Amino acid sequence: MDIEWYLVLSALLFATGFLGVMIRRNPVVILLCLELMLSAGALALLAFSRMLGNQDAQVFVLIVLVVAACEVVVGLGLVVAMYRRRLPLDVDEVKELKG
Amino acid sequence: MSFDAPTIDYAGLSPVIALTVGLVVIVLAAVFDSVRRFGPALALLTYAVTAGCLIWQWNANLDLVSGSLRIDGLAVTLSLLAVIAAAVAVLLAIGDPSETQAGRSDWLALLTGSLLGMVILAQATSMLTFFVGLELLSIPLYALCGTNLRRRESLESGLKYLIVGSVGSATLLYGLAMIYGASGATGFQAISDGLQAGDGMLSDSLTLVGVGMVAVGLAFKVSIAPFHQWTPDVYQGAPTPVTAFMAVATKAAAFAVFIRFFLVALGPLADQWDVMLAALAALSIVVGNVGALAQTSLKRMLGYSGVAQAGYMLAGIVTATQAGVDALVFYLAAYVAMNVAAFAVVVIRERQNGFSDDISTLRGLGREKPLLAWPLTIAMLALAGLPPTAGFIGKLYLIEALVDDDWTWLAVMIAIGTMISLGYYLRVVATLWMSPAGQAEAGAEIDTASLPPQIAGAQADPFEDSRADRRWYLVAPALIATAAALFFGVIPQPLVDFAQHAGDALSVWIS
Amino acid sequence: MLSSIIWTPLVFGLIGLLVPKRFAAWVAALGAVITLGLAIGVLAGFDPDGGMQYITDVSWIPGLGVDYSLGIDGVSIFLVLLTTIAWIPAICFSAIRGTDRPALYYLMLLAGETSTLGAFLAQDLLLFVLFFDLMIVPFYFLFGIWGRDRGGEEDPERSPGNGPVSVQSATLKMIVFTLIGSLLMLVGAIAAAVIAADGGELTFSIQTIVARGLPEGSQNWIFWFFAAAFLVKMPAFPLHGWMPDSYRAAPLPALAVFSAVLSKVGAYGFLRVVLPMMPDASDLFQSTMLVLAICSILYGSAMAFTKTDLRLVLGFSSVAQLGFITAGIFAFDSTGAEGAVLQMVNHGLVVVPAFLIVAMISERTGSEELGPMGGLAKKAPVFAVIFLIVSMATLAIPASANFIGEFYILNGLFQVDAAWAIVASVGVALAAFYALRMYQLTMHNPLPDGSDSREISLRDALVLVPMVGIVVVLAFCPQLIIHGSEQAVDSSIAIVREVAK
Repeated sequence: MDIEWYLVLSALLFATGFLGVMIRRNPVVILLCLELMLSAGALALLAFSRMLGNQDAQVFVLIVLVVAACEVVVGLGLVVAMYRRRLPLDVDEVKELKG
Repeated sequence: MSFDAPTIDYAGLSPVIALTVGLVVIVLAAVFDSVRRFGPALALLTYAVTAGCLIWQWNANLDLVSGSLRIDGLAVTLSLLAVIAAAVAVLLAIGDPSETQAGRSDWLALLTGSLLGMVILAQATSMLTFFVGLELLSIPLYALCGTNLRRRESLESGLKYLIVGSVGSATLLYGLAMIYGASGATGFQAISDGLQAGDGMLSDSLTLVGVGMVAVGLAFKVSIAPFHQWTPDVYQGAPTPVTAFMAVATKAAAFAVFIRFFLVALGPLADQWDVMLAALAALSIVVGNVGALAQTSLKRMLGYSGVAQAGYMLAGIVTATQAGVDALVFYLAAYVAMNVAAFAVVVIRERQNGFSDDISTLRGLGREKPLLAWPLTIAMLALAGLPPTAGFIGKLYLIEALVDDDWTWLAVMIAIGTMISLGYYLRVVATLWMSPAGQAEAGAEIDTASLPPQIAGAQADPFEDSRADRRWYLVAPALIATAAALFFGVIPQPLVDFAQHAGDALSVWIS
Repeated sequence: MLSSIIWTPLVFGLIGLLVPKRFAAWVAALGAVITLGLAIGVLAGFDPDGGMQYITDVSWIPGLGVDYSLGIDGVSIFLVLLTTIAWIPAICFSAIRGTDRPALYYLMLLAGETSTLGAFLAQDLLLFVLFFDLMIVPFYFLFGIWGRDRGGEEDPERSPGNGPVSVQSATLKMIVFTLIGSLLMLVGAIAAAVIAADGGELTFSIQTIVARGLPEGSQNWIFWFFAAAFLVKMPAFPLHGWMPDSYRAAPLPALAVFSAVLSKVGAYGFLRVVLPMMPDASDLFQSTMLVLAICSILYGSAMAFTKTDLRLVLGFSSVAQLGFITAGIFAFDSTGAEGAVLQMVNHGLVVVPAFLIVAMISERTGSEELGPMGGLAKKAPVFAVIFLIVSMATLAIPASANFIGEFYILNGLFQVDAAWAIVASVGVALAAFYALRMYQLTMHNPLPDGSDSREISLRDALVLVPMVGIVVVLAFCPQLIIHGSEQAVDSSIAIVREVAK
């Protein structure tokens, strides 16, 4: 099988995730999209690892999964804290801090 | 049953071990009420031991953990800078609302965890440790940004930083995957060999996409334009002690791995990425300096100025020479001193002023409290690159490295950026010293108007502290940093040696 | 020895921080006098034909190739003397009147002296750039903290001719203008050293770089990086934009030394750095520089003639004088350059008392505007005489040292092309107009209400009379400077003359 299929899929995942972060407003959905972006990287790593026949990247992917989980935990923690303060859960409403 | 145990170089790993032990102790201390109040002391002790280990390993030059980490001059020097920044953050946070509300031990544990990530990052020589270090640095920082629970800006900045930072991490990971595909290896040295031998099966264009994405991911971390948009917001929203730590230590650690990854792993491709990085550096210098001109909040201004300063430092990598690395490390060290001085004064003023960091709150400070005004003045002059401060020597060093490697146009960009930067740095100096005393009251009125909307809605702020300018743990960092910025401006040689120690570590890979 | 000259003022400035406030001024004055004493000591052991002397050469930042290297020759010695002399009246004048926050004021004033002396004595290119940049910092604070807003709504001196000036914007303008020049100079200096080293050992020693020489192509752009810094500092037309506002906002004693000495560092830089290091470029751009110089002379004189604010009259006359000096240097002729050195000293010596007199006039009339004042000579003959001497020196009346200086410069210009000399001499005539106008409108005419024709106080006289005395003495023996600087000037322009042939 061609490696290209895997790469195209991972690129699509990455692009979907990135687009989601850019256009979605709900922070929970944004966190989901971030996971998608990390998974895209993990998929590419696995594909290459299989192609090259060495296992370095497979360990890497395990760690990426753990890191992704940590990120979501902190992210959800912040979302919950905001929810408790009754702050709007809409990133566009986060207007105190303009870019 | 006997087996072949792995050899562990405890000496080389001692800084990481010290920090990890310290982290565990700090977390455990949270359980016991009686010990909890010694948290800062414990944290400082941990950092002191770590610094001791780093100095002990000053001349070390060896691979650890089967080539995943490497303790050498670059790692030692930049880790030391990060440790210093963390120690300052601990001091500045004593009595800060963020630290009190989040729980002292939790706050310190997060800080120590982030520092551990930095120390690992500075030593990283494989993609794995690179990524782990970066995330270990970032994730506690996201949480730290949100620790001032009663201010909505703080929570929002935490979330914003998390989103932007994670996009950066994901981009970086994707880039790493590409480079892994191109080189077939995860260790930096092996990547370099693989790229040279063409072991990988990717076309050149995909390799370059990978390099580009890694650069973008790192640019997010060190706030290089055009990936800097989060910087002013997060700097302003985060509790100031965290901002101070973030501004200084993140840059030190991220630049360490930036140097190592680009000069060691991607060394064979230097001719391809140098123009790209030069363009990023130039853009950063312009965007950061122009953006800072319009700011009225000190922390936002320092955020934009950080973008510009990151641009100056990136120029050191562009040269891909040892002199460039030396200049970068020198500049980073000077940057630590100048930023610590500035942020310490901001912390003090914030506590006296109901947590407003508007520049107008500084009016007449030169007359009323010269002890506060001088550190800020000298920090501003140093950031602007005026003699006799370390900032001037740092710029000189960078320009010399650039001109020596035929990057004169970038050197001129630094000069032009510096000119623009005078516009905002000197505005602060002028506000400190040149506002007539009569306007001090007018300034006080503006304060109340620009007070952050407080969630608690309390009238008397329990964290306000009118005597903040007499607290030794707030004033001492400011004064020491100021003295350092001046001292290394007049007698720069010790710091030059320090920086060259970092550059020497890479002498195998670059000229 | 030279190190002690440089650092004595700063040390006394720091001591001033420690002593009780009322003594700060006198500690500062003592420091300035001791510095002058040291400078005279150097002069006593100075050999006019000895080239670079009193050389100090210590490695400062070996990692960057920067040395702490000092030396003095026939050009710098007179400028060092001028500096050490000029600071004394400025400090004493402030001491007599008292200032707000004295310790800081004198620290800044003396730090200014230290950095200016450093710039004159540095023999390492980067050390020179460092001192050159450093000079502006204390003056930024002096102008900013002790200066005042002018021409605002409540200002009694408000007049249609002079718009409002705020201290903040004036000082910002000054420092941005100056640093635009000097940052480019920093890049230029490093580039010069790197290119001259050509892969060899990097050193910033001016003499070594001159000896190694620079390729012609690099000279051309480095020349403008240096020229920009020096022309802004002078200031020369068309880079004088910062001058009017900051002159109007500045405190007068600080302005006196600023105008007298700091402007000379630019001219000195041309003589010390630009001509020897970039002879081809200097030759190539000779006409451009002369055109700029002549423009400065004509524009400065014309503006001095039309402005009514006394500070601006003096400020623009400085533009004109610095134009003369630049012209003298870029004539590439030893008479011209010697005249330029003489003129640098003359102008500095004249401008200090002139600005102090402006301060005294302002005390008597409550204004620095030429229009409404006059008649001050009525009861104050000594004051009038002092001002007359200063005015006469400014307009370069024959027998004054300024006359000799301008004569030498015109003579040098004549060697290049008679046309330059003729146009420049128009400036000499205009100087007579504005200097006499200034004197007449203040001293003669009826005394308006509210003005007070008061004789100069004894203490002020003690400050001013020696300065004026030096001006008079110099008028009798200008050859002291002409001969003293001859050898150094010749060696500076020898290279470029060689190229020009």
